[in-house]
Amino acid sequence: MKSNKLNQIILNIFMISLSVFCLIPIWLLFSASLTDDSEIIRNGYSFLPKDISISAYSYLFDGSLGIMNAYGITILVTIIGTVTGLALTAMLAYPLSRFEMPFKNTLAFFIFFTMLFNGGLVPTYLIYTNIFEIKNSLWALIVPSLLMNGYFIILMRTFFATSIPRPLIESAQIDGAKEWKIFYSMIIPLSTPVFGTIGLFYTLLYWNDWNNGLIYITDSHYYSLQNLLNRILQDIQFLQSSTQMGNKGDELVANLPLGSMRMAIACIGIVPLLIAFPFFQRFFVKGLTIGSVKG
Amino acid sequence: MRKNALKTVLFAIMALTLVITAACNNGKSGNSDTTSNESGETSSDLKPVNLVVAFPMVTDQKDMELVQNEISKITKEKINATVKLVPIGFGAYSQQKTLMLSSNEQVDLMISGLGTHSQDVAKGLYVELDDLLEKKGKGIKDAFETTIGSDILNAVKIKGKTYGIPVIRNMAQDISILMRKDLVEKYKIDASKIKTLDDLDPIFKIIKENEPNITPIAKSSNSILTVLNGINGELLGDGTGLSNKDPGLKVVNWFETEENAYLLNTVRRWYQAGYIDKDSATSTETGFHLMKAGKAFSYPNLIDPWFNEDSSTGRETVVVHLKSAPIATSSINSFMWSMAKNTVNQERAMMLLELMYTDKDVVNLLNYGIEGKHYVKVSDDIIDFPEGVNASNSSYFPAQVWMFGNSLLSYHLKGEDPEVHVKAAAATKNALKSKVLGFNFDSEPVRTEIAAVTNVMNQYQVALETGMIDPATKVPDFNKQLKAAGMDKIIAEKQKQLDAWAVSNK
Repeated sequence: MKSNKLNQIILNIFMISLSVFCLIPIWLLFSASLTDDSEIIRNGYSFLPKDISISAYSYLFDGSLGIMNAYGITILVTIIGTVTGLALTAMLAYPLSRFEMPFKNTLAFFIFFTMLFNGGLVPTYLIYTNIFEIKNSLWALIVPSLLMNGYFIILMRTFFATSIPRPLIESAQIDGAKEWKIFYSMIIPLSTPVFGTIGLFYTLLYWNDWNNGLIYITDSHYYSLQNLLNRILQDIQFLQSSTQMGNKGDELVANLPLGSMRMAIACIGIVPLLIAFPFFQRFFVKGLTIGSVKG
Repeated sequence: MRKNALKTVLFAIMALTLVITAACNNGKSGNSDTTSNESGETSSDLKPVNLVVAFPMVTDQKDMELVQNEISKITKEKINATVKLVPIGFGAYSQQKTLMLSSNEQVDLMISGLGTHSQDVAKGLYVELDDLLEKKGKGIKDAFETTIGSDILNAVKIKGKTYGIPVIRNMAQDISILMRKDLVEKYKIDASKIKTLDDLDPIFKIIKENEPNITPIAKSSNSILTVLNGINGELLGDGTGLSNKDPGLKVVNWFETEENAYLLNTVRRWYQAGYIDKDSATSTETGFHLMKAGKAFSYPNLIDPWFNEDSSTGRETVVVHLKSAPIATSSINSFMWSMAKNTVNQERAMMLLELMYTDKDVVNLLNYGIEGKHYVKVSDDIIDFPEGVNASNSSYFPAQVWMFGNSLLSYHLKGEDPEVHVKAAAATKNALKSKVLGFNFDSEPVRTEIAAVTNVMNQYQVALETGMIDPATKVPDFNKQLKAAGMDKIIAEKQKQLDAWAVSNK
């Protein structure tokens, strides 16, 4: 009894310190976003800003950077991308989990193959821009990530194959249910954990994606939040390491957002995800298959 | 109840999938005919075209489209072409350039150079311009002759052929140290007496002793020496250089030279005396921001020769000119205009380029936007922001005057030196030119060695040039590793190409 309590205390301390280690960087990020720029340069980042300044946020929201537009794009792309990605993944993974499926292994091999090899940047770009013409459109941010992740499909297929008992499907068939009916009346309700997990993966993937934007978007109307942040960082890096511009380079750097601004963008970038995460958590309850198959 | 909800969700998902597929198809058929639907009256016999111009830009300009339409009005009238401007972030520019040019996307004119010009030309990304210049671009040649000199235009030739037109701007720059004016005055420092790096020590000492919170010297770009290296020799890239002592063209390993040893020892001495920040090798803040925040007293930079005091970026500085930097190929070909191989019409693209080098209206539209909306005229050549507008809230103010064609045609912002264009032309024309101006190194034969040497340099160079590590013990290590990485082979190849260039150039 006593040792049990001691264990509890030790575990609690361990977990609390673990959480603190996770929270410290976020707090530092937040506090830096509220610090005055020259203060950061003079004294470095600190946990408690000496003089709080909201100038970074007011600059962000006065519209000259297009932050609000980028925010909207990110949210839209994340929602559409997650929902569509999840639907496509489930509808591909489910047939693959059924042993009656013809050409099952061939299909599975294709999926597995793309996990190891891809076409490379230039050929991929050529296909997407010349054949699908997604350059400078919202599709550029959605389509390339949709089915590109074989890992998600295999994860989902394994879940369907192992966690859903075959007799369950057979019993539904005996009751006269067709494949669609089985899929949406039985499989989906029983698979909320895997839908929740992969949905979360997709959300993170779309929310944090800057690579598609970097490659396919040159029109700033379609910048997502991460694109905007990435572009600012890349521009700063380029200008600071370029020696050929002399004092011209200085003038350009002067126009770019400084430390606290970048922190502020990162801050408003993570907040919606922090809110979304607990929402996903309720799906992580194991599907209630126990008891449905007897004997 | 639960079943119904699921049903709805599922149908929504299906519907979305369908919408996406459909929209993708629409995109496919919808925008292939953008170039052919330009119609309108024109007196010209030229077929109407739409020309795409791509360039790097730091901040997005809200009114880019308005400016684009204004420019199109001018070009429509003069060469019956419309213009589409495609600004791209500096950081993404080189990747975007490769992608756009390797697909069949239409790009007609674009900024080239940025340190990779000879590689890009070797890849065949650009159209050769000599014939076109002769036929349709005479104005560009004249513009060079009447301003900064044709030798600048000729210096960027690769194997005798032109693939890029340098921007007409001031290219003569001095290796300088920028110092905070208030502190210079406070401690009565006579900046005119500073001639060498050694003269800086006593000044840094005063600052260090009296202003404990201010770093005497900060870095510019990667290290303290990035700019100052030019005082003692000419760098040819990849760790090689030409010594100032040697009148000939002998390529040497820059890190084995006495000149570099002197610079490294100076920096080390400054570092040990506390004149350089301890973490400056890893810090990402450069001199400009550090000085603006009041943390640094000075930093080295390349500055226009006639600049003695600078307040353009919101801080008062005194400029100490140490030595004029000879105009080198690398400074000319850092920003050029090239014609992409994907161009739809070479002659028309050249005509548009000519406008960018000769037409004052086009140049100023690109630089400052639309009169009355983005700027107002104070006098003929001097402009100011309209009321309530400034550099940071203007909806069109790219502040990249030095990039759009002939920058000497641009207006002067109020407060700017109105003589600056005359000075720039004269300074560039009469400037000291590098001994190897016009030489372009073809790195292809030693590509693997360059990659290996670059790795070694990344490991040592910044630490040495900010004084973090002791040159007396580390430079021999550094050179040993450079040799192992194939430095000698690079030097031999450079020497070979340079000798061949020198012979053909005589």
